Amino acid sequence: MGEKIVIDYTKYRLKKEDELKNILSNVNKLTLLWCKKCFTEFREEPGEECDEAVRIIRDSGVEIAGCEGIDFLCNNYLTGKILELMSDNIPVGVISCGIGIQFVSNFFNGSRKVLALSDSIPQSGNATSIVGYHGIALGAEKCAACGQCYLGKTGGICPVVACAKSLLNGPCGGASKDGKCEVNKELPCVWIEIYKRLNNQKREMGKKIDIRDYNIFSVEKEKKHIKKNQGTRATGFYGGVYPQENKDIAEAIPIKVFSIPERIAIFLSQHTGIPAKPLVKPGDRVRKGQKIGESAGFVSAPVHSSVSGKVIEIENKLHPVSQTLQPAVVIENDGMEKLDSAIEPLTEWQQLPKEKLLDILKEKGIVGLGGAMFPSSVKLCPPKPVDTLIVNGCECEPYLNSDNRLMIEHSQEILKGIEIVKKLLGVSSVIFAIEDNKKEAIEIIRRSLENYPEVKLETPATKYPQGAEKMLIKRTSGRIVPEGGLPFDVGVVVFNVGTLHSIYRAIYEGMPLIERVITVAGKNAIAPGNYIIRIGTHFSDILNTCFDIKSSTIPDDCELKMGGPMMGIVQQDVNSAVIKGTTGLLLLEKYPVNVSEENICIRCGRCVDVCPMELIPYYYAYYGQKGQWSDMTKYKVKNCIECGCCQYICSSKINLISLIKKGKRNADNRD
Amino acid sequence: MLITEIKKKEDIIEIVKDKKVLVLKCYGCKEVYFPEEEIDSLLKEIKDYVKEIARFDYICREEFAEKYLRHLERVLKEIESVVVFSCGVGVQVVSKLIPCIPVIPGCDTHYINGFQGITSQDVDCQQCGECWLNITGGICPVTSCSKGLLNGPCGGARDGKCEINPEMDCGWVLIYQRLKKLREIEIIKKAAVNIRDYRLIIESGKGVKNES
Repeated sequence: MGEKIVIDYTKYRLKKEDELKNILSNVNKLTLLWCKKCFTEFREEPGEECDEAVRIIRDSGVEIAGCEGIDFLCNNYLTGKILELMSDNIPVGVISCGIGIQFVSNFFNGSRKVLALSDSIPQSGNATSIVGYHGIALGAEKCAACGQCYLGKTGGICPVVACAKSLLNGPCGGASKDGKCEVNKELPCVWIEIYKRLNNQKREMGKKIDIRDYNIFSVEKEKKHIKKNQGTRATGFYGGVYPQENKDIAEAIPIKVFSIPERIAIFLSQHTGIPAKPLVKPGDRVRKGQKIGESAGFVSAPVHSSVSGKVIEIENKLHPVSQTLQPAVVIENDGMEKLDSAIEPLTEWQQLPKEKLLDILKEKGIVGLGGAMFPSSVKLCPPKPVDTLIVNGCECEPYLNSDNRLMIEHSQEILKGIEIVKKLLGVSSVIFAIEDNKKEAIEIIRRSLENYPEVKLETPATKYPQGAEKMLIKRTSGRIVPEGGLPFDVGVVVFNVGTLHSIYRAIYEGMPLIERVITVAGKNAIAPGNYIIRIGTHFSDILNTCFDIKSSTIPDDCELKMGGPMMGIVQQDVNSAVIKGTTGLLLLEKYPVNVSEENICIRCGRCVDVCPMELIPYYYAYYGQKGQWSDMTKYKVKNCIECGCCQYICSSKINLISLIKKGKRNADNRD
Repeated sequence: MLITEIKKKEDIIEIVKDKKVLVLKCYGCKEVYFPEEEIDSLLKEIKDYVKEIARFDYICREEFAEKYLRHLERVLKEIESVVVFSCGVGVQVVSKLIPCIPVIPGCDTHYINGFQGITSQDVDCQQCGECWLNITGGICPVTSCSKGLLNGPCGGARDGKCEINPEMDCGWVLIYQRLKKLREIEIIKKAAVNIRDYRLIIESGKGVKNES
């Protein structure tokens, strides 16, 4: 070992002082923009070029009107937002690679002078050859992107990049006796290396090798790729990713009723806000739908028994969301399915005043079923006027199909739910959004909507995390929820289709929220599908029924996730139980190799490209690993919606989400 | 940034035919462009020769690739070659780590504009090491002129389009228009244009530094 190879792919270098002074001689004031670099090991203050430039600019007697370091200056969208704010017409001096400088010039398009204060320097690290691009990682290997890969014939050593003359047809004959290149005596002749490698593999190089075709990737083809890439990146909202969908596993399986377990555990905290207060004690008999936990504040919700039977105990169990011990009411099912007397159908709901309806929904424990579990009765009393209801049928998480199946099989109930919510909110405009990968659901909803002209169907192209409130609002209504704000700030309320279905049941059937549709799938699943499962059903019951695993333990190479693979929460204990926010239960294969040890950020910039909240997640990696929580707050960690895009794309496989969660917790504690 | 295209089906079949191969699929750049569907359909056709398929991301990262290959140690003993679906960097990293086993690229690699992240750019930079943008109104003649001319237009443009490819704008027409807006035409007329110095590329582009 001994020597550590440090690779630094900084792509610019400040111009020489006399050249800079010459450039600056035409201006007397400028704004300085500098790029914080890409593909270099993360450093907090990578701006020595900027410091040097500031000195030279001051020396030249030029006034600096402003100086800003920008993360990835070539990011058209995010940097464009910064440039838009510049309203003066003072010349701009840019320190970045040629792409950044050209972007700024094109942005201002002749309306102000843009000075290039730096030269781009190449990334090709070979001292004889000028070709080659580095890969995503900070490695020494380069690829010339010639479009006709020869590596299969040359033993995996690239002659285009590594031969000083990029010869394809063997050595030039100029190598010295000890095998060094005649152009640069420090370097080995790459053709000798190729020969040795092939010899080692007992292979011979074929007689024929293709002549290089420089037209193999034509301008038109390149433009097509660029357009396609920019199109997928920019549609609807900034960022986002396209993970493997895996929806086909449970897509076509109709909803089935999961066998009602003999014993259930109802957590008292199944919603955002204060946990419910228990109303029962061990030994009490309860009926199906009976309230067993009373809501304990404004933002809170009651919980109900999902079976009839006897309360065994109130036990502390590992909560599936917080992964801490939380009280749960354990009930033994007597199999009688005796209904609580409070459950009464209500068909004439239109006659009831708004307050009464809200009371009913609160009493029935309705919360958002998309995963966040925000009490619906609170959402239905927005403190600001709203004019639009958005129905969220996106279900952008891979694997999950519970909303999809609900829309296919229970469209009428959902539409009745929409009517109730519409009346409560007093809105006239409704947008029903379904991602375009759910063809069957779209068709059924389209047909059902013929009688509801006020509901507009939107079918945006699939992209994760489209189902997140803020992205969906931007995509379907064009409104942008302000930083730290909520949907009602822009006059919108978003309801998940599952929630609307449970609102329908609460009103029309009088049924509290005691069961929901859950997608069960994953490795070793013998009965994957979409099941109506009672709240409080233990995960172990589902595992035993739907998966081929031994004695309800999670196999070593798998993890159990509640929710989807992107945002789902890894479960430590199979004795935890289904709550109102359980959208899915997946047994997912772990990444086969453990590479998630502490890797450092290499500023590849991918997390910034995919963050739908337009944050700069790589700061969370750096500050999170160092425990500098207040610095995370500075970079708006609280705005993060924990969609997991940054962690999914991270080329250093940094556990960003856990760092972000820690950062948020620490920010909360400080306030 | 680098993107990949799958090689011709016949060429891959020719190589793997009657052999036992391990297939490595790198999907790290899936968000940029990675022909995963085409690869999967090809793999179905050659499934008789495929001993195992492994799907990883960022195999261009040597420390990851090393672990991936260690994980596949058992399989590596039973196969004759490894087919890697990744960019040229990934293939080179894998073959460096297993020099005794033939490594076959399944993809050709192309470059599209952009260095950072996964979003491609409208403009390109060839990193010539001597930025001309100050005198050319912020439009790069090296990349936006087909001939990379530094001393003005070649004279072959028609209606502002390049004579080499009529789909392309003539970079020098764009530069002229921009300079007109900036009222800087006179400056470029007087500017002396250096001859390109390719040494700047070689000398500065070391990339690799050794630190003890």
